[in-house]
Amino acid sequence: MENVQTRIPNRLDAMAGVVSIVEAFGKEHGLSHRIVNDVNVALDEVLNNIISYAFEPGARSEIGIRLEIIGGKIVIDIDDAGRPFDPLGAPPPDLTGGLRERRVGGLGIHFVRNLMDAVEYTRVGERNRLRLSKTLASDEREEPGGEWHGNR
Amino acid sequence: MEIVEMLRGPVTIIEPRGALDKSGAPPFGDRIFAVIDSGSRNLLVDLQQIVYISSAGFRTLLLAHKRADEVKAKLVLCGVSAEVRRLFELGRVLDLFTICATRDEGVAKAT
Repeated sequence: MENVQTRIPNRLDAMAGVVSIVEAFGKEHGLSHRIVNDVNVALDEVLNNIISYAFEPGARSEIGIRLEIIGGKIVIDIDDAGRPFDPLGAPPPDLTGGLRERRVGGLGIHFVRNLMDAVEYTRVGERNRLRLSKTLASDEREEPGGEWHGNR
Repeated sequence: MEIVEMLRGPVTIIEPRGALDKSGAPPFGDRIFAVIDSGSRNLLVDLQQIVYISSAGFRTLLLAHKRADEVKAKLVLCGVSAEVRRLFELGRVLDLFTICATRDEGVAKAT
């Protein structure tokens, strides 16, 4: 089974470790820079949301993260014991207007939706479960000698 | 987040190193605002050493750019990787920024 699992405390300073895990997972499976970057950004947005808004101030909890490659897709499961929150319920951001009119917020979930092929939310018992998935195109699993491995 | 700052003529070059995420974006934003507040009107932000940028980083870049615009300062970007550029496109902010291919071009543009 090609998967890796971890649990992190609900603190922002725990996120650097997640980036390292995604990078190691990407290297092990020959994933492209692009996929690794997409997963890192999407996970960053999701974990930030959970850590910043799912818990009462000061409440300590853990967030589960699981990465797996199933049938040509990378699947990322995130689960937390925070208050029920469906990130897919957020309205799309207003991305119009010049510099002066432009709103500065709301890009996070927009990135997640657009970087991933599918985002599914379920509330199971007392836990939120979010599944992100993205198909690995043939050019996104690079052979040795490709961008990720460097040319030798 | 490590932030390297240097001067090239009138241009202050700010190079964030690490992830421009929720932890890295605030000190990065503070630094840009401090540079503007200290009177610099020519800024180049070199993104070549960032691991990745999240929405928090974009928020900071937009706020900094708005601030620069208010005081009629030039704010130019360089060192934008293909991955980062794609996020600029996804966020529809590509057209709001001046992005140069190299640091030298960036310095010229920001002067």
